Parts: sequence; C-alpha cells; structure tokens
Amino acid sequence: MRAATKLGSLATAAALASTLLTGCSSDDSIKIGAIAGLTGSFITAEVVKTAQRVFDDVNDRGGIGGRKIEFIVKDDTGNPQRTAQVARELADSDIVSMAASASFTDCDVNDAFYRQKKISSVMAVGASAKCYQSPNIAPVNVGPYTLMTAELLFASETLNDTRLCNFTVVLPGSEDPVKKALDQWSRITGKHLVVNDLTVQQSGDPTPYLLRAKQAGCDAIMFNPTEQLVVPFLKAARTQGMAGTDFLLLASAYTDSVAKTVGGLGLKVYAGSEFEPFTADSAANKDWRDTVARAKAPATAFSQGGYLAAKFTVDVLRSIRGDITRDSVNKALRAMRPISDPMVGNPFVFGPEQVHQPSKTCKMVQLQGGTWVPLGDFITVPAAN
Amino acid sequence: MLQLSAAIAGLVTGGAYALMGLSTLLTYRLVSVVNFAQAAVGAFGAFAMVVPYEDGVPLYLAVPTGMVIGAVLHCALGAVMVRWFSEASEGVKAAVTIAVYAGLVAVGLRLFGAQHPHRFPSPFDAPAFTTGGVVVTWTAVVTLVLAIAFAVLPAVLLNRTRTGLLLRAQSERPTTAELIGVRVPRLSMVVWAVAGAASSLAVMIIAPQLASDFGSQAGLITPALAAVLVGAFRSFPLTLVGGLALGVLQGVASTWTDVQQFRGVLPFVVILVVLVWTRRADRWDEPA
Repeated sequence: MRAATKLGSLATAAALASTLLTGCSSDDSIKIGAIAGLTGSFITAEVVKTAQRVFDDVNDRGGIGGRKIEFIVKDDTGNPQRTAQVARELADSDIVSMAASASFTDCDVNDAFYRQKKISSVMAVGASAKCYQSPNIAPVNVGPYTLMTAELLFASETLNDTRLCNFTVVLPGSEDPVKKALDQWSRITGKHLVVNDLTVQQSGDPTPYLLRAKQAGCDAIMFNPTEQLVVPFLKAARTQGMAGTDFLLLASAYTDSVAKTVGGLGLKVYAGSEFEPFTADSAANKDWRDTVARAKAPATAFSQGGYLAAKFTVDVLRSIRGDITRDSVNKALRAMRPISDPMVGNPFVFGPEQVHQPSKTCKMVQLQGGTWVPLGDFITVPAAN
Repeated sequence: MLQLSAAIAGLVTGGAYALMGLSTLLTYRLVSVVNFAQAAVGAFGAFAMVVPYEDGVPLYLAVPTGMVIGAVLHCALGAVMVRWFSEASEGVKAAVTIAVYAGLVAVGLRLFGAQHPHRFPSPFDAPAFTTGGVVVTWTAVVTLVLAIAFAVLPAVLLNRTRTGLLLRAQSERPTTAELIGVRVPRLSMVVWAVAGAASSLAVMIIAPQLASDFGSQAGLITPALAAVLVGAFRSFPLTLVGGLALGVLQGVASTWTDVQQFRGVLPFVVILVVLVWTRRADRWDEPA
C-alpha cells in the first residue's frame, strides 16, 4: 500500500515536472503566427507546410539564440469571420509576428487589428489591394497590380504588340489599384489600351469579350480571372480562331492544371510568375525545391511564397540583439537591411514606410505543348513618377 | 455588327439555359417539385464523369457512369420527396430542394475541388460554321438540337401517350392516381431518374463553355428558373424560347457599355419582370 502511494506520488511529481518543463520550453519559444486556408474551397496548405519546414530546419540546428521557433498556423476556411477570429486567437497566444500567411481575406479583415495590436506580417501570398496599403503588412509576392503593369510592359516592349487590350474581373476594392496599374504602364510607355473592359463577369460564356477584342483588332489580350474561367476563355478564343493573338494571364493561372487543360489549344499563352518560375529547374529554385520536397508539399508558386516569407523572417529574427519580442521584431523589420534571394528579382525589405511593395519584379513564362517554359530575365517595373 | 455577333454567341449560352430550364420543368410537370437542386445534381453527374475521364477512362464508359450517378442521386432526392413530402405543399418541397442544393454544393466543392479546373471533354468542339463574324461550334449546334428535343419530346409524351396520361395523373392528383391503381411511387422514381440523367448529360455538354467549377455549374439553376418562369412553369416551347432569349439578352448586354457590368443579374431582372407581369391581374385588375 505504502509502496503504491510512493509510486503514485513519484508519478505525480514526474508528471508535474514534465508539465513544468514543457510549459517552460513553450514559454521560451518564439511564437510566429500564420493564417491560411487548410480546408474550404481555396486551399493554401502547401504554403504553411513549406514555411513550417524552414522553421523546423532552423530549430533542428539549435533555433535562434537557443530559442526554438513555434509556428502556429490557423485555418480560416476562406471565411472572413473565421479570418478575424483566428487573428485574435493568434494575438492572444503572444506571437511576436506573422509570417507566411496565405489567406485571401486576411488583409481586408485584419489590417486594422494588426495596426492596433502592433503585429507585423510578412505575407507569403498577398492578393487584395489592402495587402499593399498597410504599414504592418509586406507580402513577398509582387501581387496582381504590379504584375499587370509588368505584363503590359512585356507585351508592348518585348513582344512588340501595338494593340493591347485588357479584360479584368474587378473585385470589391480593387478597381482603383487596377486603374493605377494600367495608368502606370501608360505613363512609362506613353501608350494606351485599345480596349479596357473592367466589367468582366466571373461566370457565363466568355465569347462576347473575345468578339469585342477581335473587332478591335487586339494583338495582345490581358485577362485576370481565376483558373476556372481562364480555361473556357482560351477554349472560346481557339474556337474564334485567335491563334495569332498573345494572351497574357496573371500569376493565378500559372499552374500545372491550366497547362495540362489548355496546353493543346495551339494558342500563344503567357503568364506572369511572381518569383523564379516554379516550373524552372534552375539553381535559383534549388533550396526551395529541396525544402518543399522535405515538407512533402506540392511544389507550387504559392509554396515559393511560403518558403521566402519564412526565410526572410528567420533572417530578421537572427539580426535581433537582445530579447525577441513583438516590439523588437517590429523595430528589426523596419530597420532591416535588404535580403537578397535568387528567387526574386530585387532584395526584400520591410522598411519604415507606411505602405509596402517589397517585390517589384516578375518573370514571364510561355505555354508550350502542355508545360510552362520560362522566358528571359526578371522584368522590373520602374517606380511611379 | 458587334451586337449581332454577340447575340449569336449568346444563343449558345441560351441553349444551355434552356436545356437546364427544360430539365427543371420536366421535374416540375411530372412530380410537382420546383427543384432548385436540379443543376447541382447535373453538376454532380458531370463531375462524376470528368474525374474517371481524367484518369484515362474512355468517354463511352465515363459518360454513362456520370449519368447513372446523376440518376441515382436524383432518385435519392425523389425518394425523400415521395416518402416524406408527397402530401406537402409546393413551397415546402421547394424549400427542401434548396436545402439539398446548399448541401450538394458544399459536398461537391469538397469532393471535386474549386481551385483547379477539370478537363471537361469537348468532343464537338470543331467549328461548324461561321455567321455574323462568330464561329459557331458543333457543341452549340448539339446544345440547341438537344434543347429543342427536350422541348418537343416531353410535350408529345405528356399529351399523346398513355404513359403521359398516367404521369400527368400522378403529378396532379397523386392520391387519386394511386387509388385507381397507378403505381405512383415506382413511376415517380423513373421520372426522377430520367430527369437526373438528363440534367447530368446537359451539364456535361455545357460545362466546357463555362467556368468549370462545381459552384458555377450548380448556379445554372438561376437562369434556368428564369427560363421556366417565362414558360409559366407549363409550356416546354416557351421555356425553350425563354432560355434562348435570356442568353441573347446577356450577349447583347455585353456590348452595351452602360449595362455590361450588370450582365450577371439579368436572370433576376427577368424573373422579377415575369413575376410582376403574370401577377398583374392580382394587383391592377381588381374590380373597383
């Protein structure tokens, strides 16, 4: 009986000690948060998986100043209410910053909250205009707006197209940034779009847009919607016999499934890549490819964003002398030195500005027989006048 | 000229609307259910075809598979209707189908994904002829022919054959029909199965022309219901005309700068106008 009590108290003590220990180690860790779509209709799980691998690699080598990184990922299921809720949960769990978020509602829903809580976010995938208009958010990807300017530059300056047309689905809040991006191209080149349709619908038959383009004699057409609509658009273009026209798609259509689905149509299709093209087997992609393979995640363009956001965050954390807290991370991000990586055309810097657009470059890829083939070097968009 | 081209292009979309509208009308006329889940069931069947097709299953096997799955699914919905809601009002039955629609869209998005496009086969993709500056594909021709067949065949079946008579009896007075010896549940199941398979086939043909995600395909129910309303939930030929007219209207609207951004809400405008027009008697023709 006595032996049993002794054993029992020993076990309790051991359990208590281990709780204390784990409590200690988890208190001592550097907590970094991310919001991504792990379930729902748009899944970006590979982004946070790749970022997790980057942080695990750092932890395997002893962490940062002896402290491990604890990466807390919250699933927002693509639902704005969840996006707001999980940001509050992350703030309550004392994260020092956000890194590698890939949620399409994060910037619109949480920008004000991040400002209020003084949380900085190095996003992996920024899509909405708000991601590029906040003092607290800096996405590592170039984003759809600067990409539009870059692709028009590619069409007018590299492909030497003279009659450029644009068909854009405008989402709430994106009309002004789209117009600015198109104006920027006009200011740089002194040229103007022949057709500029910002009323494209997300559904329905795309043939009327193509008829309009055909009538206007467009020799390059930029089209921004998602993969789902790009496919019938290009099929209809083939039907209408537009094999001589250059089609410019945005980064959202630069995927393997689009290549497989429309590769055989015999059209001239180009897309913008926000990083070193993920389909390129180049030296620039080597570390990312290795990381994404070990993370057992699909090698997509989004996962490149996760890799870069995590890597840049680790570099900034390493640069901090003294305690790593939300304040010290904020200061370090604003005072950081630019970090170069071969996967992006210009060095990443968060900096002290009120808005952040760290990446200003893209590379173009062309669809050739069912695969995307990288073209040329990084295109840099000149700064606004 | 652009208007004419856009109108011709719109005729193709209109054919798709008409096809879906006619399947919906078929269900309504034969089993008295306004089925909001009709297009969702069709989309389910179409995706059940495309998934094995992408894995290399030949089309002649994949298409029947998809149609059978659409039929089985529609039968399951029909069984629920016959078993629990046979005496319920049309409003209650419609509400049930709306719930089923929401459920099917959620399940469909989870099963088939919304992110990446599926490779819907388009065997009739070759250009058939060019008119008014528009290249018209065989898909468009097949859609139109099928829509006309869908409009004519049920009308003939219902009005000219004994089976049609039984079907009308069980639709309008199910209990009476059962009392005089019509095997109503069995006959209903056949109707549900045929309508499910037909909508699956319709979506398979339409799918390559439209955004290829489950939500967009299931959403075809809105223009379809607008077309059915034009036919006053009775007339097959008028439903065909309604669907085609809606497609043409949307096509023409896309060339007109002031309204092109409202193209997507046109089905709702049509629904509203038709409802106001058909109900005008209730409001304005009241005896003083």
